[in-house]
Amino acid sequence: MQRSPSSYPIIWRVMDVLETTFAAVWPKGGGKFTPYLMLTPAIVLVGTLVVGLLYIGDSSLRVLDRSTFLFSDYWTLDNYIRALSEPFIFTVVWRSLLGAVIVTIVTLMLAFPYAYIMVRTPSSFVRKFLLIALFLPFFIGQVVRAYGWLIILGNQGIVNDVLGLVGVEPLRLLFNYPAVLFGLVQYMLPFGVLMLAPALTAIPEEIEAASGSLGASWVKTMTHIVLPMAKPGLIGAGLVVLTLSLTDFAMPAILGGGTQDFIANAIYDQFFRTSDQGFGSTLALLLIALGSILVGIIFAVFGAGTLALDGSRK
Amino acid sequence: MNTNAIPAQTPAVSASNVAMQFSDLMAVKDANFELENGRFLTILGPSGSGKTTLLRMIAGFLKPTQGQIFINGKEVNAVAPNKRSVGMVFQKLALFPHMTAAQNVAFPLKMRRFDAKKIPARVLEFLNLVRLDGLENRRMNELSGGQQQRVAIARALVFEPDLLLLDEPLAALDRKLREEMQLEFRRIQKELGVTTINVTHDQREALVVSDQIIVMDNGEIQQDASPTQMYRTPHNPFVANFIGVTNLFDGKLMSASAEGAEVHVGDLTLSGILRSSSDASVLGSQARCAVRAEQIRIAAAPDALGTLDLTFQGVVKDVIFEGERLLYELSVPELGDEPVRIFHHDQNDFATHDVGETVHIGWMNRDLHIFVAS
Ligand SMILES: Nc1ncnc2c1ncn2[C@@H]1O[C@H](COP(=O)(O)OP(=O)(O)OP(=O)(O)O)[C@@H](O)[C@H]1O
Ligand SMILES: [Mg+2]
Repeated sequence: MQRSPSSYPIIWRVMDVLETTFAAVWPKGGGKFTPYLMLTPAIVLVGTLVVGLLYIGDSSLRVLDRSTFLFSDYWTLDNYIRALSEPFIFTVVWRSLLGAVIVTIVTLMLAFPYAYIMVRTPSSFVRKFLLIALFLPFFIGQVVRAYGWLIILGNQGIVNDVLGLVGVEPLRLLFNYPAVLFGLVQYMLPFGVLMLAPALTAIPEEIEAASGSLGASWVKTMTHIVLPMAKPGLIGAGLVVLTLSLTDFAMPAILGGGTQDFIANAIYDQFFRTSDQGFGSTLALLLIALGSILVGIIFAVFGAGTLALDGSRK
Repeated sequence: MNTNAIPAQTPAVSASNVAMQFSDLMAVKDANFELENGRFLTILGPSGSGKTTLLRMIAGFLKPTQGQIFINGKEVNAVAPNKRSVGMVFQKLALFPHMTAAQNVAFPLKMRRFDAKKIPARVLEFLNLVRLDGLENRRMNELSGGQQQRVAIARALVFEPDLLLLDEPLAALDRKLREEMQLEFRRIQKELGVTTINVTHDQREALVVSDQIIVMDNGEIQQDASPTQMYRTPHNPFVANFIGVTNLFDGKLMSASAEGAEVHVGDLTLSGILRSSSDASVLGSQARCAVRAEQIRIAAAPDALGTLDLTFQGVVKDVIFEGERLLYELSVPELGDEPVRIFHHDQNDFATHDVGETVHIGWMNRDLHIFVAS
């Protein structure tokens, strides 16, 4: 049946016009280069980053003359020597690294059961509750959340008030290493759960039932079947949490109160407090190297294939 | 096989008034059956009839909301799956993708604490049994569909369970491979003598492989009988219609006795054998007659059907070529509006009747099953 064009829905007609215009501007749909053209925005973005990195690389090779506040016009490795020899930097790097590793392990340990229950619960109410509880912190944002912890854990905070009721002297719960790690774990948990949930959904329930009927207890099913099958998800979640924690700024700044700086805080200080752009750049490159080495080690140990990035695997 | 002296009269599996209630749905209602040691039972029924639910209760994944299940005479309602001696092959196989074929088969042996030194030999023995020798180090995504089926069977059998459960593991295979695997199941089952419960909605498979068949519909067991009994003496119209292709005619019961019964269908009187178990078949009540497509004869001239009890005239509406047989659809005004379906197997004469042709059909009264609505 022939219909007059005007009887088509308006959105179809708009699409038609767009298509005709596009075909006029770009005959034959651009041929085989179209897919690459679609990559341009991403390439431009990454390219800008590379340019920025080149600048940072350049600055990292110039030292600041503290009497004139000018940068040397020659290249030198002084900044790198300083970064590797200054005990303070070593402390900060070690603190960040150890913190990131602890936070990753604790987050995965907490996120796994959370994601497992969320995926497997037969009750849609429980599932929705867990999902909302997961997304709520995202809406609040990191700084507000950290500030919330100040209110709860501060010297005059809620926790100390309650402890005071039972006669406990106020405790210093803030501005120490555990407080920062605590805040980071709390911040990372949703990322961990969100990365793990799809991996667990991909494991059919029948597989677990099969394991049970073959004689495996619940614990054995977890350790022999579910955990190995969830490995790509665990590694993916681990990578995200590890790199985000390693480079975190807000939690150490707010919950550490300046006493528990991570690398990002040290970089910030160099750029915006001491205005030593050269040394700041050196630290920034150090952080990038550190992160790359960590990710590289994880890939080397588990193989990129485990992340399902390897095209040949189903 | 578990050879500890099980008294011969104790059934390997039995269910007593078993029911499963999901929130708003009775998936299985009041199921009762017994299965003898070493026999092969098939649960047959349309999709959603509760077959998987019944099987999952026997495996221990679901707890019946009512009734008891016994394995070797022991009530198992409260026994967890991993404490039952039941091997199961799942509808979707549920093989472990991160393990090789050998590791999959070794898994139940490790979990059930078999002597670690004997495991490799035993795994090989069972991979041989399912004819997978040489493929033991393949992962699941490196095996074909049929080979995966075999791994699943070996894995379910390797720990010598008292009972093997098969939940339509063949449904996804193409017909040729499926028929091959059906015979394979039967061979292995005979070789090991393991009591087996198989679920399917393929009636041919049920007739070919089973010692005993249970037909389910709507969560209820419709009939529990041997394949020949199920085929020859269906208990109700559902069973008659589900096994084979069957013509059904509705009418009123006019007379009933042990020898036979009579039903008025329109202006006709059909004679047949009363199959309903209810003795209180009230004369004049609604009755349903069933006659199988392969038990109706068809011929161009009436004298070829001289030996039959009852003959009709009809017009060919459709002819479907099915290879080893022809399916005719006929309009027979005396028998109502529904087309009458007839299988013609005689390949010697290839006397095909054309669409529109007037033909003669007929059957023997002993082939007409009469059911009274209870
Ligand atoms: N966990 C469950 N919760 C609620 N209803 C269920 C559940 N499992 C099955 N059912 C319902 O119970 C009925 C029987 O399901 P079952 O899986 O036993 O059917 P089946 O005979 O195995 O069908 P198929 O041949 O399609 O596999 C269906 O109506 C199904 O929707
Ligand atoms: Mg099923």
